[in-house]
Amino acid sequence: MKKTVWTLVAWLAFGTLSYAQQTFPRNGAYDERPGRYAFTNATIVVDPKTTIQKGTLLIENGLIKEVGTNVKVPGGTVVTDLQGKYIYPSLLELDSNYGMPEIKSERRGGGRQPQQLESAKKGAYGWNQAIQPENEATALFTVDAKKAAELRKLGFGTVLTHPHDGIVRGTGALVTLADEVANDVLLRAGVSAHFSFNKGSSTQNYPNSIMGSVALLRQTYYDADWYAKGGKDQETNLSLSYFNQIKNLPAFFEVSDKLGILRADKVGDEFGIQYIIKSGGDEYQRIDDIKASGASLLVPLTFPEAFDVTDPWDAEAVTLAELKHWEMAPGNPAAVAQAGIPFALTTSGLPNTANFWTRLRTAVEFGLSKEKALEALTTAPARLIKAENLVGSLKKGMLANFLITSDELFANDNIIYENWIKGKPYIITDRHTPDLRGTYNLAYGGQASGQLRITGTPTKPEYQLVLSDSLKVTPKVSVANQLLTITYQPDSKKPGTVRLTGWLSARELGGEGSLPDGMPLAWSATLTEPYQTPAAPTDTTVRKPKEIGKLLYPFVGLGNEERPKAETILFKNATVWTNEQEGVVQGTDVLVQNGKIARIGKSLSAPAGARTIDATGKHLTSGIIDEHSHIALFAVNEGSQSSTAEVRMSDAINSEDINIYRQLAGGVTTSQLLHGSANSIGGQSAVIKLKWGAMPSEMWLPEAKYIKFALGENVKQSNWGDVARVRFPQTRMGVEQIYMDHFIRAREYDKAWKDYNGARNKASRLAPRRDLELEALAEILNNERFITCHSYVQSEINMLMHVADSLKFKVNTFTHILEGYKLADKMAERGIGGSTFSDWWAYKMEVKEAIPYNAALMAREGVVVAINSDDAEMARRLNQEAAKAVAFGGISEEDAWKMVTLNPAKLMHLDQRMGSIKTGKDADLVLWNNHPLSIYARPDYTLIEGTIYFDFKADESKQAKLAQEKARLIQKTLEAKSSGAPTQRPDMRRPRMWHCEDVLGEHSEHEHGK
Amino acid sequence: MKKIVIFFGLLLPLALRAQNPAPAKPQSRPIALTGATIHVGNGQVIENGTLVFDKGIITAIGNASTTFDRTATEVLNLTGKHIFPSLVSMGTTVGLQEIASVRATLDFQEVGEINPHVRALIAYNTDSEIIPTLRNTGILVSQAVPQGGLVSGQSSVFYGDGWNWEDAVLKKDDGVWLSWPPYLARSFNPEDFTFSIKKNEKRAEVIQSLRAYFADAKAYAEIADPAPVNLRLASMKNLFSGAANLYVRADYAKDIIEAVQFAKEMGVQKVVIMGGDESHKITGFLKENQVPVVLEELHRLPSRPDDDVYLPYELPARLHKAGVKVALSYGSGWWRTRNLAFQGGTAAGFGDLTPDEALQLVTRNPAEIMGVAQQVGTLEKGKHATLVVARGDLLDMRSNVIEKAYVKGADVNLDDKHKRLYEKYKEKYGH
Repeated sequence: MKKTVWTLVAWLAFGTLSYAQQTFPRNGAYDERPGRYAFTNATIVVDPKTTIQKGTLLIENGLIKEVGTNVKVPGGTVVTDLQGKYIYPSLLELDSNYGMPEIKSERRGGGRQPQQLESAKKGAYGWNQAIQPENEATALFTVDAKKAAELRKLGFGTVLTHPHDGIVRGTGALVTLADEVANDVLLRAGVSAHFSFNKGSSTQNYPNSIMGSVALLRQTYYDADWYAKGGKDQETNLSLSYFNQIKNLPAFFEVSDKLGILRADKVGDEFGIQYIIKSGGDEYQRIDDIKASGASLLVPLTFPEAFDVTDPWDAEAVTLAELKHWEMAPGNPAAVAQAGIPFALTTSGLPNTANFWTRLRTAVEFGLSKEKALEALTTAPARLIKAENLVGSLKKGMLANFLITSDELFANDNIIYENWIKGKPYIITDRHTPDLRGTYNLAYGGQASGQLRITGTPTKPEYQLVLSDSLKVTPKVSVANQLLTITYQPDSKKPGTVRLTGWLSARELGGEGSLPDGMPLAWSATLTEPYQTPAAPTDTTVRKPKEIGKLLYPFVGLGNEERPKAETILFKNATVWTNEQEGVVQGTDVLVQNGKIARIGKSLSAPAGARTIDATGKHLTSGIIDEHSHIALFAVNEGSQSSTAEVRMSDAINSEDINIYRQLAGGVTTSQLLHGSANSIGGQSAVIKLKWGAMPSEMWLPEAKYIKFALGENVKQSNWGDVARVRFPQTRMGVEQIYMDHFIRAREYDKAWKDYNGARNKASRLAPRRDLELEALAEILNNERFITCHSYVQSEINMLMHVADSLKFKVNTFTHILEGYKLADKMAERGIGGSTFSDWWAYKMEVKEAIPYNAALMAREGVVVAINSDDAEMARRLNQEAAKAVAFGGISEEDAWKMVTLNPAKLMHLDQRMGSIKTGKDADLVLWNNHPLSIYARPDYTLIEGTIYFDFKADESKQAKLAQEKARLIQKTLEAKSSGAPTQRPDMRRPRMWHCEDVLGEHSEHEHGK
Repeated sequence: MKKIVIFFGLLLPLALRAQNPAPAKPQSRPIALTGATIHVGNGQVIENGTLVFDKGIITAIGNASTTFDRTATEVLNLTGKHIFPSLVSMGTTVGLQEIASVRATLDFQEVGEINPHVRALIAYNTDSEIIPTLRNTGILVSQAVPQGGLVSGQSSVFYGDGWNWEDAVLKKDDGVWLSWPPYLARSFNPEDFTFSIKKNEKRAEVIQSLRAYFADAKAYAEIADPAPVNLRLASMKNLFSGAANLYVRADYAKDIIEAVQFAKEMGVQKVVIMGGDESHKITGFLKENQVPVVLEELHRLPSRPDDDVYLPYELPARLHKAGVKVALSYGSGWWRTRNLAFQGGTAAGFGDLTPDEALQLVTRNPAEIMGVAQQVGTLEKGKHATLVVARGDLLDMRSNVIEKAYVKGADVNLDDKHKRLYEKYKEKYGH
């Protein structure tokens, strides 16, 4: 044993030369050693499934030579008896930036930055700074002794490290946490490829949204494929070349939340890649969907701290979802394990890695089995990087990376003594520290002089001297190796310290000392009673399963405890606004079955099991359809380039946005989520049904293929200040040329593909490069995708109609179209619809001639007119907005109503399935308590496809329940606080409300002129 | 009826003008409006009512039996129509801003934090094209208010018709506007596009400085002939005599309580809370201290995700029922204030109020709060004949069609930019 300690000291003293480096010169004599060690009598956990009692582990030269109960220890081996102790494989971390250079970001800072359209990276790389497949962790790696020690202390022996920067981040390197030269620490280069949706330190404008990130990554896969197949003969692009080298490695994708997992997985599906996804810790909220993705996960232990809710008003800043997440997050690893999702655990994201073990034990308390936990830190991560024959368990031939512990690894008072890496020990806690605990009889100069009591833990003993019944003192004691020093002041009122020095023997301490007056003295302390661990209290409340609230779908205060289901419903005796030839019919019944409108008529009888709703005195209409919305989105504008036709709003759907529920409370059932208006050619729209509690993929209607265009002040950046004078166009003249240029390119692109697809000798030709942007534009030319164009003044509206005519494509809808009344004849002639605000104006120059009679004038000219919101609040009053067309311009009530139902359905080519009450159409219905155009009207029920998503009465009890649940959690939080748990101040973090003009955090006067 | 036809006949030639119509001439002879449903503005409704006014002042109001001198009076039979007092629109930037994105048209925010001396009065632009559009939804009285900073300046109350500000003003310098430093501060994170709301750390310091400022102002007010003259301090004087209101913008309950207590402590006589998002939590306090609340923009989303989805819509009824004097406004809006009537309708549709109770929140209550109830806010004898004739329920969009409007008895031309463009393009299409 002395020898081990000595060797360690030698390493520390003489630097870190290692015998693996044959090519390195030596300073002085060679010091290579066989490194042959045997550990006997230990409980050896070979892997999470295999434990050997009284086993022997034999290692040599950094590798495991043998492990078992019957291991023959050869001569010349340093043998250590680990009786009563445990050996575990050391832990493996996959999401580390250990030894990577610090990522410097120049982008941060307030306000709008000057536009940077091209990459700032020098060299023959790709066009976008966020794509960095050329970054190799191996080349960037340096040893960081401090960080290594920190991780070793937790029990980690090996990490997969990579630079956490950009969307394509390059390759990872597998390194040990040894304090050696980098050459010895690096185990494997190019182990893995790494991705995220976060552009990191890139200063380039594109992408600046989540859908832009998705588009850029997808395009990179296509470009790389083209490059490999022959594109490399046409251009040199090192990034694509590197990308092709890394794309078949185990691929790790970092996301921040549960929806991000599915988003990343969807990208992977397109290219036949199953990403391993570093998750955000909220997977339990949608565990089934995540399981169905088939992804393996890297699960963090980032459990939020309790909120400080002492002041009831301050506490209101905390949402129920935040409180529930606080309560449930520790159960996340257990939920992932229970679902059978393959996963590894990671320390990544912990504010303080020292909390790792506390967090891990909490996760175990919350139901994660110890075996699973160990697996998730050893064999599971090893498998994910195909290193299961190198690290993660203790098998012959593998690296001698292991831990020596006092106890079972997850035991509360377990101590990690040593962390061995490649056959070299790192002492975490000296396991030779003697266990001195017990009660001793103290004798000074042979005279019994009281008792010495030692309690506490072996590594942190507590001392007490009982000098007489009434005199107890706590001495200062230091123990080093076999020597100890005790000092104390017998009388606290009188100065004067007794000093004892001594040494340990079997059952006795003893030695010499001196009294305060300098009198020398011999002392001894004889063990009379060995230490007894106090019996654990019989009431083991701590381990009782905790009271945990229910999940919510979505995970928002006003979410549903159960996902709503379709019902058979009979509405009796309603005033029905059919939006069909029948018009508004009184005293009519409507039967809803299988999500559809099954029957409309008088005195219908309810089928078995149907819910009957008495609609006497009430109005039944089809659901409101909002042609222009930006709710339920994580971002709205890519807007960094004049055309971003490649981005898809469907990549940014946030199914957890409370505004979905709020719209339902205003009778809205379908919304078209549009890209913003920051550029001439925006992104592809996502039409969603507001199924509160469903996943984005369940809400989305992929058949509605739309794209947002925009004209005017936003695209020419008139109101963005002087920094925005870089990007073309800056005038309406330029806007026309953007369209001309892009569509001509799209036409050529379309032709190139058609030629290629029609060619006989395809195999010998290089396929055209797939370009997602031009592909979307070509879809417009082929009448497969339709334009909704943000527009205000007549000159530019006229322009786009002419561009479309000349290039033979159609404009489907002009949205906003505040000067549509000036060109209604031209629009009608071309069959272009108008989707407008009821009465907005005066918030900027281009709306100074906007008039509330616009809808009426357009409608009378034969334009299909819709009234839209572009605003999460106004959307819940679209019935009132439609009613304004009655006052301004005298539109009939029925026609006004169609402007928020049937007409938008027509503009979105969905009128075959929605927009009116007709047998066979989707049962997207609203039962109003009053005339639907009245200011006094609100929905009693809002249904989508036969499922009740809003119920006025149920909403009241939902709120009562919310209050109750919040109260319970606040009490629980207060208990946690009083028992000493750390707390955080309520930080009311809220996603903002989007309007189409929101770019880069700037906001124009669009928001009601505020 | 005949008169109305003639009136509309006059519209066409006017539509050819590309500017606001001339302000109305003063009332030249007595007018009686008969047969209409009169909504008095205090909750009372008179069916088949008669309303008579002369020289701009209401001389009689009552049911069909109300007598007046028929020979000297122009009588308009308005059977089937509804008469309402003008809506009274508080807290606006009407007349102070024209086109939000064009800086040259913005006159509502001065530089600096404490500007009680700047006055909306003299920036108020009677030629704004916004103003005529407001008349067409029933607004003939608007308060124009400076914005920004801690003490934004002084507001004035205007009629929606007049040649110049001097001519249009109904009450000069009716109050000083203070933005209470909020307990929780909003900050925007451009990284992830979220708002964070955090405790405002600088707040105590700001309140200290306000305390010192108000104390200085009060002391200054006690000096008959101060030298040197300090315009900022001088303009606070009316707060301490009760001649002007202190309007305090505050939303959080704690802020409201603190602001009211601050004002009392500083010797301010009349305090009005503007905003008051959380005023429903402290109705007892507000009632006890007789502090009225002017709500901003009901047409907004609840401020917290867990809030009742209809909370903003329900607020007015909750406050009214709890005995708090409440008025509705459109915040610092300008063009959008034309939807003020519909906030009244929303308050009735979503809260426990009848439409005529809700009407008070946009007529009588704001008039009382601003100290102009002697002239406007209700249709009562002796008050100004400032009223509108509507096709039906003023609070409902479908029937909010203004057919006649009188400002202090003067018959207002209801033409506006929107109507002119409407007529122009009807002509284009031959509708």
